[in-house]
Amino acid sequence: MGLKEGDRDSTDWLRGLNAEGPTREAAVTRLRALLLRVARSEAARRSASLPERGREEVDDLCHQAASDAAMAILRKLPEFRGDSRFTTWACKFALFEISTRLRRHAWRHRQIDTDEQVWERLADSTSPVLTRLEHTETLHSLERAIRDDLTDRQRLIFQAAVLDEVPIDVLAERLDSTRGAIYKILHDARASLRQAIARSEGKEERI
Amino acid sequence: MSRDPLEGLLGHTGRDPGCEAAFEQFDRYCDAALRGEDVERGFPEFMNHVRNCAACREDAEGLLAALRGIMEE
Repeated sequence: MGLKEGDRDSTDWLRGLNAEGPTREAAVTRLRALLLRVARSEAARRSASLPERGREEVDDLCHQAASDAAMAILRKLPEFRGDSRFTTWACKFALFEISTRLRRHAWRHRQIDTDEQVWERLADSTSPVLTRLEHTETLHSLERAIRDDLTDRQRLIFQAAVLDEVPIDVLAERLDSTRGAIYKILHDARASLRQAIARSEGKEERI
Repeated sequence: MSRDPLEGLLGHTGRDPGCEAAFEQFDRYCDAALRGEDVERGFPEFMNHVRNCAACREDAEGLLAALRGIMEE
């Protein structure tokens, strides 16, 4: 397993989870309790960002997140190499499971324009995020680049994720995609926009 | 949001490994941060990603907060 010396706690976790019978059952129970604690901690930390409606469902989301995280951890246990403490490695699965659920829960009653003509409908209204740009010339260059230099898909993702501040895992769910794929499109869109603005200002842009 | 509005909109330049690669580093990053190590130096690409990705930034903050709570027990 290649665990670092001195990480006795991680060794104990692995011994228990790789055992059989009551020893394993006890370790799995302990793991589920740890994951539920992480999920509840994150839900409490984000409670202010959650809508009033649906708060009573949050503890169910925590249980679902802990359960799915436990399954993922047990499946991936042979991949754990001891590069971090076991508890840190395990807790990240619970954190991501509850995090995605909470964002989707918070946005579930909110409409998001996810068709690729969204920019045309928004052309007459300047996004509040764009208005933070004080340099009018840069703002105009950016708006031109959004219109002319992005693909429809890039424009849609940039509009939603950056200008409308829709979380990318919410977008991934609505667009039947993955968080990683949505982020890649956003990353490429931003690179295109930086290049276009640098060109308009007569500079070379390093991506 | 970055102090520079354009940087906030268009992200930071430099290598950004994306969400999936960042996920693989989350646990090592958190352990290093909790030990008080220089994470900017040890995890430059991960740090660049969390500056650019609001979801991963929020998740990193959440995981660190949860782990600190567990350590304080």
